[in-house]
Amino acid sequence: MSEIKNNSNLVLMKNISKSFYGNKVNTDVEFTLEKGEIHALLGENGAGKTTLMNMLTGVYFPDDGEIYFKGKKLNFKFPGNALQIGIGMVHQRFSLVGNLTVLENLILGHPDNKFVINIPEKKKLIKTYMDQFNFQIDMDAIVGELPIGVRQKVEILKMLVREVDVLIVDEPTTVLTKQEADNLMEILKSIAKTGKGIIFITHKMSEVFQIADKITVLRKGLKIATVDKNDTNPRKLAKMMVGKESEITFERPKVETKPGVVKIQNLFVNSDKGILAVNDLSFELAGGEIIGIAGVSGNGQVELADALTGNRDVIRGKILFKDDDITNDTPVKRIDKGVSYVPGDRIHVGVAGNQSVWENIIMKVYRLPRFKQGILLNNKKLKEYAEKIIKKYNIFLPSINLPALLLSGGNLQKLIIGREMERDCDLYVFVYPTRGLDVGATEFVRNAILQLRNQGKAVILISGDFDEIFGLSDRIAVMYEGNFTGIFDNGVHSLEEIGLMMSGCSEEQAVKEMSNA
Amino acid sequence: MLKIKTLIVGLLKKIAHFFHNIYCYFKSLRIKLEQKERVSKREELIITLSAIGIAFVLSGIFIALNGVNPFVALWKVIVSALGSPYGISETLVKAIPLIFTGLAVAIALNSKLWNIGAEGQLFFGATLATAFIIYGPVLPKPLEITVLIALGAIGGALWAGIPAILKIKFKMNEVISTLLLNYVAINIADYFLFGPWKGKDNFPYTPEFPPEAKFSRIGFGRVHAGLILALVLVVLLYILIYHTKTGYKLRMTGSSLKAAKYAGINIKKMMFMVFLLSGALAGLAGVSQICGIEYKLHQHISTGYGYTGIIVAWLARTNPFIIVIFAIFLSILLKGADSLQIAMRLPASVGVVMQALILFAILGSELFKNYNVKLIRGK
Repeated sequence: MSEIKNNSNLVLMKNISKSFYGNKVNTDVEFTLEKGEIHALLGENGAGKTTLMNMLTGVYFPDDGEIYFKGKKLNFKFPGNALQIGIGMVHQRFSLVGNLTVLENLILGHPDNKFVINIPEKKKLIKTYMDQFNFQIDMDAIVGELPIGVRQKVEILKMLVREVDVLIVDEPTTVLTKQEADNLMEILKSIAKTGKGIIFITHKMSEVFQIADKITVLRKGLKIATVDKNDTNPRKLAKMMVGKESEITFERPKVETKPGVVKIQNLFVNSDKGILAVNDLSFELAGGEIIGIAGVSGNGQVELADALTGNRDVIRGKILFKDDDITNDTPVKRIDKGVSYVPGDRIHVGVAGNQSVWENIIMKVYRLPRFKQGILLNNKKLKEYAEKIIKKYNIFLPSINLPALLLSGGNLQKLIIGREMERDCDLYVFVYPTRGLDVGATEFVRNAILQLRNQGKAVILISGDFDEIFGLSDRIAVMYEGNFTGIFDNGVHSLEEIGLMMSGCSEEQAVKEMSNA
Repeated sequence: MLKIKTLIVGLLKKIAHFFHNIYCYFKSLRIKLEQKERVSKREELIITLSAIGIAFVLSGIFIALNGVNPFVALWKVIVSALGSPYGISETLVKAIPLIFTGLAVAIALNSKLWNIGAEGQLFFGATLATAFIIYGPVLPKPLEITVLIALGAIGGALWAGIPAILKIKFKMNEVISTLLLNYVAINIADYFLFGPWKGKDNFPYTPEFPPEAKFSRIGFGRVHAGLILALVLVVLLYILIYHTKTGYKLRMTGSSLKAAKYAGINIKKMMFMVFLLSGALAGLAGVSQICGIEYKLHQHISTGYGYTGIIVAWLARTNPFIIVIFAIFLSILLKGADSLQIAMRLPASVGVVMQALILFAILGSELFKNYNVKLIRGK
């Protein structure tokens, strides 16, 4: 039974402990990985998954415990060491050079590089890797111009070119669409078949069953169990992961809608690169209604949200909010008029990370007369206001003076949503509101969105998560290349039909295609 | 003979071996860097003070190389700067412009903007104020002083407005534009000093200002009312940064441009405002120099106060009160370096070298704020 003596162990981590400033992030964790195995590391946000893997790759050093790789004890000198001996990690944030081509990124810093690099030869070499694992990437494309899904493949390919034996992927699907994610899983499976070990960090149950051979569950820095996929089921795993079984059911009571709160007419918006991102888009939204916007990321959803909230200029077209033309209003005017925005980039846009929690909570109310004291701000009242929100929305933190960037993803999103809900707006725009959140925080966010709808607010929900889209929306719109390929009541179309619309089929085409199949 | 030869060869081998061992030992040392989650205020203070300590040790070596006992030199610095009422007053005199320029650089730094141009803004503010003294009417003293202070601030703000517009409209890096504009401002002052404002004896300085244009002394050596102005500004800036809407916007803009924009803050307006404010503060340093100490405009009204202000701001970071402390600290060094030059025949550059070493040490200490650094023996 003793796994420890097994010769095929690629990685063996023994009694690993690590703490940051007195907070135990990993306590006595054991972890093994075998050749050809895909091992899922499952746990909520803050369970210590990423920290554990950062120790395997030499980014952090364990306070306690030992790490063996191919039977040899590891003693890293610097993070690059791990890659040299064959442990590669694909982080959530990629480490690619945006201005270089795919090829240049792949060979950058490669140990076999000589003073003069023989480009055609390298190309041939990389082609063999691409063929072996079924990648299709243009080697001469500039990485910064590639969609995020492709960039991730480049990152994985980079590891393969370096002949790693262990490949760690950290929540790779959070930025991907369903199709992209499926494709990624296939690639990972084919990599595992060649005898490499893969560690797949995730908190998504469906992925675990789709890909993993073995599953290790972490909770609050402790290893709860390592189980074989065939010996378990999602229910059991969920229980291990959260400590309690979570059930995701949403009730959408009928509420009276106020039609025409938002009217968007022939809207054109550019992306950062100056390319048309929202292309002649028109729709209306009622109060008390959630419109879920589905689509492959990068089809203009974020630009639409930015334009609605004043964070991006409109080229042409009109945005009417409660019959008031707000097309050219500044963000601050829209804030005052009752437009609320929960941005997808929590850490960089949603909060000013280095500023304290309380300063971030008052972000949109500090201008109100009731927080004034002559020409000064009434900091005491503002702090009280922040504390009220922290209490009301159950944000866990040691002090309101803590910089916001030190909050976990879930707490941060609670902060942002608490801040926005407390302002009592008429239009709420959510962009990927539960991306990267754990089960508990996700439930909180989704309930908050529903609550807003039930209060009669107009809600735009941009999401890549179908549970969320199907569970919350009254109407669903599918966005493709800057326009809607379909907009319909929730329940009219199946997931497959929506998938087709996401890839550019019109509503009729999608239905026809599915009935043919 | 042969015996001695083998003995020597053996000895040499042993010595070589010994040094080789030492070499191997150091070669085997590795630096481990581990990213820190955050630094406590106390840790930050310890790191800053250690950096200053290291800078002092290095300065000591530099002084020793000049044939002077560094401990004696250090003692001399302290005694000359703080050992007598005269010394203290002269130290304070040097601290006044440093408080202004320190505040100027720090307020920009607070919004993640680099104002390397405090020196130029100082000169331009001083030039504009001098123009009023030369061409304008002589007003009653309170009014005259108010006008001069206002003109100094406006001059500095105007000079800082150029890089501000270049940055906001054309995305030009402000480090380069502010730095280069220093030379332009100094040359503009030179033009007037060598031209229309040239003194009677043909030297490049203006005639002495009328009494109405001179800051009053506060009764302690040459210390003048500029000190009071500086301290009032410290308090006002503290209130502005931490207790007003504008200050809140400023802090948000400094922390994250994207978040500030999202919060509805007009970030371009904020950046522009910060530049103007920063320039105005530096301009005040110029007025305080010409009206408080020199009583005329000449080429040496600043001994690099605009640049030393960068070090003050880096040491003190965002808190205006701490700027006062570090402004005095650096003025002790400036004053001390002057007396070292006179009393110990050290080169004039000692002071500059010390400043540079402090800046390097502080910049280097950033590493220790962001990482845990460990020295280990590896294979």
